[in-house]
Amino acid sequence: MAIRDIKPTRSELIELKKKIKLAGSGHKLLKMKRDGLILEFFELLHRAKNVRSELDSAYVLANEKIGLAKAVEGAVAIKSIAFALKDVPHIELESKNVMGVVVPKIESSQVRKDLCERGYGIIGTSSCLDEAVEVHEALVEKIIVVAEIETAIKKLLDDIERTKRRVNALEFKVIPELTEAERFIELRLEEMERENTFRLKRIKA
Amino acid sequence: MELATIGRGDFTLGFKLAGVRKTYEVTEDTIEPTVREVLMDQDVGILVMNNDDASLLPDALQSALDESVVPIVVLVGGGETTQQLREKIKQAVGVDLWK
Repeated sequence: MAIRDIKPTRSELIELKKKIKLAGSGHKLLKMKRDGLILEFFELLHRAKNVRSELDSAYVLANEKIGLAKAVEGAVAIKSIAFALKDVPHIELESKNVMGVVVPKIESSQVRKDLCERGYGIIGTSSCLDEAVEVHEALVEKIIVVAEIETAIKKLLDDIERTKRRVNALEFKVIPELTEAERFIELRLEEMERENTFRLKRIKA
Repeated sequence: MELATIGRGDFTLGFKLAGVRKTYEVTEDTIEPTVREVLMDQDVGILVMNNDDASLLPDALQSALDESVVPIVVLVGGGETTQQLREKIKQAVGVDLWK
């Protein structure tokens, strides 16, 4: 708001004071929201670091095991065994609210199964294949956890950034401008009052 | 909802063994239309891809994958995902907390 656009009237001053009060309380609330979001973020960060490193090592292990299984059984045999598997991992995507930020919550059906529950015959297959299936089941479980945590972290970070911008805009732009305008009106009103007093004195004299 | 994987033969084969039905074997030419198709699939909750394959996609699609909530996209292999998240943390919080 440019100073030249301000009308130096009492009603404008009252309006400005209301705006400053509102901006001040908004600033305070947003600061609290930002701090709360950062606290939530810190809680998730530690978990995110752990699950990501676990996922990376599980992926490396899974690659090794599938390579080995492919060498022993052959790609066609592995594909045919994959068709024999009974259960498909299902997930339910829900959402939860963290300080106004909607983050996903993933519920999944059991991914890991016992050897006998998998659906393929254990007599005609090697232990390499069983190991490959086992590590891939573990990998899928980790992927589900990582999906939940990393999405939550990304959404929290987006909101932290947005809130930080708002807090900064209020603190360094909106409130100082309003305060400056308030001071300008107060000075102008005082000046007008002095002019009036002087005019009255001259008329009396 | 289900999981889906997009990638080269070896990548999808392992997920098939874990019971994932929606696996799409792709080449460099077919990867983009397949990703677009899976993003439109209402039944896919999580999409798993390899980092190297994702880097072949156009920038706009990569950022769409990055921002997608349903399906959630998880990239595995390589350290690029960690790097992206690290940059995001630096940008939002102002400090590199991913150490």
